[in-house]
Amino acid sequence: MDLPCCKYALFLATFLATAASSLADDAAKPTPEQLQFFEARVRPILVASCQKCHSGKEPKGDLSLDSRGGLLAGGESGDVVVPGQPEKSLLVEAINRTSIEMPPDKKLPDADIATLTEWVKLGAPWPEESGGNGPTLRKSRGKITDEDRSYWAFQPVKKTVAPEIENDGWSRGSIDRFLLAKMIPEGLRPAAEADKATLIRRVTFDMLGLPPSPEEVATFVNDSGPDAYERLIDRLLASPLYGERWARHWLDLVRYAESDGYKQDGYRPSAWRYRDYIIRSLNADKPYDRFVQEQIAGDEIAPEDPEALIATGYYRLGIYEYNQRDVRNQWNIILNDITDVTADVFLGMGMSCARCHDHKFDPILQKDYYRLQAFFAPIIQRDDVPAATPQACSDYREKMKTWEEKTADLRRQIDEIEKPYVDAAAKAFIAKFPVDVEPLFSKSESERTPLEAQLVRLAGRQIIEEGGKVDFPKKLKGDEKTKWEGLKKQLAEQEKTKPLPLPEAMMVSDVGPVASPVVIPGKRKAEEIAPGGPSVLDLNPLEILQPSTSLNSTGRRTALAQWLTRTDNPLTPRVMVNRIWQYHFGKGLVESSSDFGRLGQPPSHPELLDNLAADFVECGWSMKDVHRRLLSSAAYRQVSHGPALDESATKDPGNKWLSRMTVRRLGAEQIRDAALSATGELDGNSSGPGSDYASSRRSVYLKVLRNKRDDLLDVFDVPDGSSSIPERNVTTTPTQSLLMINGPWMLARAKALATGIEREQSSANKEKKIAAVYSNLFGRAPTGDESANAMKFLGNDNSKERLIDLCHVLLNSNEFLYVD
Amino acid sequence: MLTEMPATHHTPFGTPRSRRDMLLSAGAGFGGLVLAHLLPNSVLSGPTPNPQPLSSKTPHVLPRAKSIIFLFMEGGPSHLDTFDPKPLLKELSGKPMPPTFKPVILAMGENNSPIMDSPRKWKQHGDGGLWVSDWLPHTATCADDLCVIRSCWTNGLNHSGGVCQMNTGSTIGGRPSLGAWVTYGLGTENENLPAFVVMEDNPGSVINGPRNWSAGFMPAGYQGTPLASGPEPIRFLASPKGTTDGEQQLKLDLLKQLNQKHAAERAGQSELEARIASYELAFRMQAEAPDAVDLKDETAETQALYGLDQKETQGFGRMCLLSRRLVERGVRFVQLYSGAGSKWDAHSGIEKNHGGLCKAVDQPIAALLKDLKRRGLLNDTLVIWGGEFGRTPMSEKGDGRDHNPYGFTMWVAGGGIRGGRTVGTTDDIGLHAVEDRLHVHDLHATFLRVLGVDHMRLSYLNKGRPERPTINEGSPCEKVISG
Repeated sequence: MDLPCCKYALFLATFLATAASSLADDAAKPTPEQLQFFEARVRPILVASCQKCHSGKEPKGDLSLDSRGGLLAGGESGDVVVPGQPEKSLLVEAINRTSIEMPPDKKLPDADIATLTEWVKLGAPWPEESGGNGPTLRKSRGKITDEDRSYWAFQPVKKTVAPEIENDGWSRGSIDRFLLAKMIPEGLRPAAEADKATLIRRVTFDMLGLPPSPEEVATFVNDSGPDAYERLIDRLLASPLYGERWARHWLDLVRYAESDGYKQDGYRPSAWRYRDYIIRSLNADKPYDRFVQEQIAGDEIAPEDPEALIATGYYRLGIYEYNQRDVRNQWNIILNDITDVTADVFLGMGMSCARCHDHKFDPILQKDYYRLQAFFAPIIQRDDVPAATPQACSDYREKMKTWEEKTADLRRQIDEIEKPYVDAAAKAFIAKFPVDVEPLFSKSESERTPLEAQLVRLAGRQIIEEGGKVDFPKKLKGDEKTKWEGLKKQLAEQEKTKPLPLPEAMMVSDVGPVASPVVIPGKRKAEEIAPGGPSVLDLNPLEILQPSTSLNSTGRRTALAQWLTRTDNPLTPRVMVNRIWQYHFGKGLVESSSDFGRLGQPPSHPELLDNLAADFVECGWSMKDVHRRLLSSAAYRQVSHGPALDESATKDPGNKWLSRMTVRRLGAEQIRDAALSATGELDGNSSGPGSDYASSRRSVYLKVLRNKRDDLLDVFDVPDGSSSIPERNVTTTPTQSLLMINGPWMLARAKALATGIEREQSSANKEKKIAAVYSNLFGRAPTGDESANAMKFLGNDNSKERLIDLCHVLLNSNEFLYVD
Repeated sequence: MLTEMPATHHTPFGTPRSRRDMLLSAGAGFGGLVLAHLLPNSVLSGPTPNPQPLSSKTPHVLPRAKSIIFLFMEGGPSHLDTFDPKPLLKELSGKPMPPTFKPVILAMGENNSPIMDSPRKWKQHGDGGLWVSDWLPHTATCADDLCVIRSCWTNGLNHSGGVCQMNTGSTIGGRPSLGAWVTYGLGTENENLPAFVVMEDNPGSVINGPRNWSAGFMPAGYQGTPLASGPEPIRFLASPKGTTDGEQQLKLDLLKQLNQKHAAERAGQSELEARIASYELAFRMQAEAPDAVDLKDETAETQALYGLDQKETQGFGRMCLLSRRLVERGVRFVQLYSGAGSKWDAHSGIEKNHGGLCKAVDQPIAALLKDLKRRGLLNDTLVIWGGEFGRTPMSEKGDGRDHNPYGFTMWVAGGGIRGGRTVGTTDDIGLHAVEDRLHVHDLHATFLRVLGVDHMRLSYLNKGRPERPTINEGSPCEKVISG
């Protein structure tokens, strides 16, 4: 750099320093002049001479010089800049080569050294990294500060009391008082209570996922008792249909599916047991803490309880690639997926960013991701444990023993013939695995490390599948074949006397009492990461109590389950009550219900959220109590539309302050189930294996195939089972319209409805039939105008086809698809 | 009207976050349904009106092309037998892979199998002297339009992961496909047709199915729409069998009347109005889509150019010709699958397998390039050719090749990209990409850049994480774009 330029830089820098000498504080905003100096003089040096090494994902010396955050965070050698004090700054030392020497190959020109020195003296001004009012990047890399800990979601749940409101003629309970207190300063007033027909339709769809029957509507509307609504809530909470509806919310969260995904998308014939477990648990109002514990650590905390074992199916819901030879990588994918989902579902914290780097906005360290993963590091997939009580198991073993003794000789002979072929197939197959996996098979069990045992187990699934593919009738020849066929025939006879197998379920257990070590991938100094919660809540790892040796388990997941459900966990209860709120009201008090971090939204009603969370824990984590509290509020009973709401809609278009209810589109399953229910076709068979899409069972009992979804459910935004879904998209697309008005499924429902009405009311006049259509589909009588219009549509034609068309139109209508 | 490309999250089709979002989100599907006429003016005059989800948007940087046609050879075409000749294979034929080449993990574990030579005849073509094998004689006549990238690599070892990554950037499902990102970023230029169209030569067979053109975590309105030829190119486009046009009209009239009354009682619930409009849009599509796929106004010369008069080529030829008609009508992203259902997966009998498939696609692809060019559309269209990976130099079962994700070839044409040249190299046996290695993320970043989209500036907030099309990785390859 030539001299005049250098002089200019120095002059400018000196001028700026005098003008803003107090700006050394890193919180201070740089002035425009300083930023101009930075952009014109400093950044070019950083780009040309520093950032080649000190930027990107793996900067040299762990020092990034491509952002102010990186600069202030320092590197392996500690802080590099003390803003305002060049004499104390390592960066200035380095460029002067008085201690370390940077850039390593060639000293910077004097002018550049002067510029950088002046820049540090100015306080190292650097423009804001994220524009506007959004959250700013965290500056303290690898560390947790008090400021981080003070963030609302990490603070203990407070016991709050609802404010008393003067002249409060509206509130029915504390929820309403919390809400009203926020409405008043916004100039809002709560809306009137909806009429009873609206209420029963709203709450029945909400709780059961189905419309009320015309009889149920009539009963409720005519019930003049003061507690009619409360009794309705009780009835709905006691209905087994409740679990079928609300299980679906949970299944979205845990990305439930019954197939593997990937190419083959293999069906998982026992996956449904987890779905039934969720339904049963909700119907039984299993306390949420127990519900969480069973899913996280059922095999450790209640190894003799089939329910708790089935609950660990939670870990088996992810995708699986049946022919992935890169076993190690597939195992990492499985563990990462479990880690991501667990953080989303239970902590309401998106942690997947931290898999590769510290979270840029929230105090979630990269280490925290692996602390969480360390709980799952010892798991293995189990398909060999019956989902049965110890008594049932021992009974079965007893019977099986007799059968096995009876058939021992037969089976031995078959085995003698088959074994060489199966072994050869397995051997040839093992050779297909990469060099990091293949040798593990020749090690004995005791020689394998826990991770090796896990990899062998995962690879073993492919070998078992391959072994089962040996085509004996083709492979065997001559006498051997004849003998084999004879033996197989005899065995087939014996199979008839075999005891019925115990129920199978997909589960997990630990590989043994020792976990494979978890390290942060790609770190040069790999240190084992001990299991723990996010550092912002506790810097220490969690204490793990080694369970009894008979369990052959690490106890890590028990520790996680207990930590998640500790009564003072600030996240678990808040996250769950907020989810329940969201499903009832359309959006959560924290709108980003799986992201309580700084990229999400802060709670609209923090005191109410804490009140609900504290109450939830205090009342023994009863989800039905939360439902009852929310549904009983005056807020839930408000009308959703009408001229009186114009002011509310104008002042609060997003309905943040809940001064009305919102008209909502039915979810995919609700649409399908409501159509089947209204036409009288719904098959009430509950539980058991999933049915094909053509079935008339409730949607929750249909097969959930990742790669081939039901047309109707798909088009109405059912999740694809790839990641945790806290809130579904609600789309309006012409694809939906085409499917509804031209597709065969909805037309078939129209035919069923019209056929039923024709059958039951064959002699009735058209008006009566129209009334029946309205009653079945909307739970109400048509108005005079509506009836007249429908009459006009039917015309003089008495054909069933016209009635089918009328039903089809009404099934397409917004009144059918939306709930007030 | 052009609106700014979305830089951060908005919820165009999604659950409305605010009333304005809701109003603006409503109704969009294939085309950006302009709802303005349904709404009071005051609603749209907010300080920062959100873009219509599918209306045309201003790109980040000067675009070189407006549309993409992606010719996906599903199953993994062999680069060693098409665009990347390796004389050393002849020398090593029948011998094990020399230890100087880094060993790899292979899907079928064929690491120790002997090297297999390519029996192809190779010639240089065009002014640029591009090497093309005798399997692709027609494509060879377009050599000067092709920029052949020989140094692609991917993480997908198997078809599922490979196809998923080539479409979505990740080997694991759940992310939006490239076409969905393009649709989200740029919208469409024809509201009556889907912005993102997918065609398969064996419909319903492509591996992982609709996940390849899904919108992932973004609203479903950005997903690809499968298109077939014939009277019902889009599913359920035609009225139900037995329903006359007149009857259908009566039904729609009644539906509209009922819905309008319902909506009038619920003023301000724009979703309801959006659904009314979505039925109207559906029927505008019913008019336009069959016309777009009707080939009868194409001349005999054009039809013959695409090989519609020959049994082997008519299937893919029809798809290529439809692609031209679609980009002509403003469709943003067209993806064609040749060999849907991993048909290019020549683990054995590569001669017969690739021989047949090359024949099926060669003439149609050349025709597409020539036809786009003579109509002045090639400059506005980026044509991409490739599969999810290439194939190994080692043989499998004596006459096939295993999957090779470590180094393979794709080519691009159009979009102002200089043809007649190669970018990048593989090693001497074509196993690993070595020079100018381009990961799938780099390829995606490059394709996006040609459309004027900066892969780091296009983002969508999902569960607290700003998601970007290439998962924050990769960079556009200047050598491809401007070389």
